[in-house]
Amino acid sequence: MSAGVFDQAARRADFPLLTREVNGKPLVYFDNANTAQKPACVIETVDTFYRRHNANVSRAVHTLGEEATAAYEATRDKLAKFINAPSRDEVVFTSGTTNAINLVAYSYAQPRLRPGDEILVTQMEHHANIVPWQLVCERTGATLKVAPITPEGELIVERFIELLTPNVKLAAVVHVSNVIGTVNPIAQLARACKARGIALLVDGSQAAPHLPIDVQALGCDFYAVTGHKMFAPTGTGALWARREHLDAMPPFFGGGEMIRAVSFERTVFADPPHKFEAGTPNIAGFVGLGAAIDYIGEVGIDNIRQYESELLAYATQALRSVDGLRLFGQAREKAAVLSFLIDGVHAHDLATLLDQEGVAVRSGHHCAHPLMQFYGVPATARASLAFYNTREEVDRFVAALEKVRRLLM
Amino acid sequence: MSASDLYRENVLAHNREPRNHGALAAPTHAADGANPLCGDSLRMELAVADGHIAALRFSGESCAITIATASMLSERVAGLDAAAIAVLRREFEALLRGDPCDADALGELAAFGELVRYPARRKCAQLPWATLTAALNGAARATTEKDDP
Repeated sequence: MSAGVFDQAARRADFPLLTREVNGKPLVYFDNANTAQKPACVIETVDTFYRRHNANVSRAVHTLGEEATAAYEATRDKLAKFINAPSRDEVVFTSGTTNAINLVAYSYAQPRLRPGDEILVTQMEHHANIVPWQLVCERTGATLKVAPITPEGELIVERFIELLTPNVKLAAVVHVSNVIGTVNPIAQLARACKARGIALLVDGSQAAPHLPIDVQALGCDFYAVTGHKMFAPTGTGALWARREHLDAMPPFFGGGEMIRAVSFERTVFADPPHKFEAGTPNIAGFVGLGAAIDYIGEVGIDNIRQYESELLAYATQALRSVDGLRLFGQAREKAAVLSFLIDGVHAHDLATLLDQEGVAVRSGHHCAHPLMQFYGVPATARASLAFYNTREEVDRFVAALEKVRRLLM
Repeated sequence: MSASDLYRENVLAHNREPRNHGALAAPTHAADGANPLCGDSLRMELAVADGHIAALRFSGESCAITIATASMLSERVAGLDAAAIAVLRREFEALLRGDPCDADALGELAAFGELVRYPARRKCAQLPWATLTAALNGAARATTEKDDP
């Protein structure tokens, strides 16, 4: 998937939005963990789809219907290849990661769980990988338990493995933390789960745009991704699951698209993945996701990983020079996400004042209350970087931080 | 537009050195305001005599907008009764919406008219008002967060 020499400036120029100004300053977009910007090729693909090919998928025999279906289904092939799934039929399209995890909670976990069973998550999960499990626990009498992390933000792997007791039926772990950037050792966790017959779901929202993903090498049972963080339109995503799980899982939603035959007496469901794709999907969005996957392939995921890790090292060093700045999460394996606070300054004041300088960061709990509680803070500010960001932007960000700090102290 | 349209000098000064910060020895009324998603928390303690605010102290950990609002509010409502405070609060809400309001009556608090441009931060300035109202009404808690994800 690597693609030769990485011309960062040329790649940055692929993103039209990055040229705009905010509050009279050149935009510094450091909110990529929230959502990524879109390259022109993705925008144009969606535009062209609506101008030339728009039709519903998998039901019309006319030319546009065939074109729309081919473009839509091509994304399934691309995504299967992107995550090295053994089969395209194991890739279920969803509206995003949240929808994918809920699908597993309702269709896989709920029928299996009995009172006394347990689901294991980690302290660093996003609410999307906590709340669906809490809901399924309420319905089944199962309980949720939590694997701890170190103050540096690393999962304590030995504790995770100790917690894989016979009652645990499913473990759910984030691949890359959206708050502190920690990259979890999924392959190691998956081996431990597999040895005990426990299914492992991986929330790959933050991993897919930044790391090579190989679900076979990882050895997990479920892997969830979302398109909008991968430079694709919102409302796109996927669940990869082992075929035997998909075969055993009942449908989550019923409707059109997911059936083979319907009468009032009985409905025969389509095979996976269509069994889980009721209703008309976000067709143009998924065609755009295909373009985004092609684009990531052109840039080269290894180039992205390498560039971002150098940029992370540069940004970490730069932030350490700011007086009173506290960084949250210093895992050895880390993606380019920097959560921080400045002594005596509230995160929302930071974010509002940085916005005045054209710098977009997120402030708040980042949909991870338990992680905020672990660090004993209500909120942090978070700079999350992408391969289109530059050292010069990091410098402008740090200068803006200094200005804000002086204003508020 | 400068960085300090919202964070103008008097707002920053009230944040740096809030007036009436602390606790009362014998409050007649008190309430805790919290916007947990945002991370703002604020306790207000009142001494009400003959229906009028004789003393007010606040404490807690909040952003500059909440602290400056609470500080200015604590000065503005001294000696007022609940009815007069309710009138002022309506004027403040009109200010936040960008509607016509009595800026003279609001005094320093009129600085928060800038929040028209920061809808996500309005709840920060509303929290001290909601907490004060809760205390006067005998309610223990207040929040100005609704559907933040």
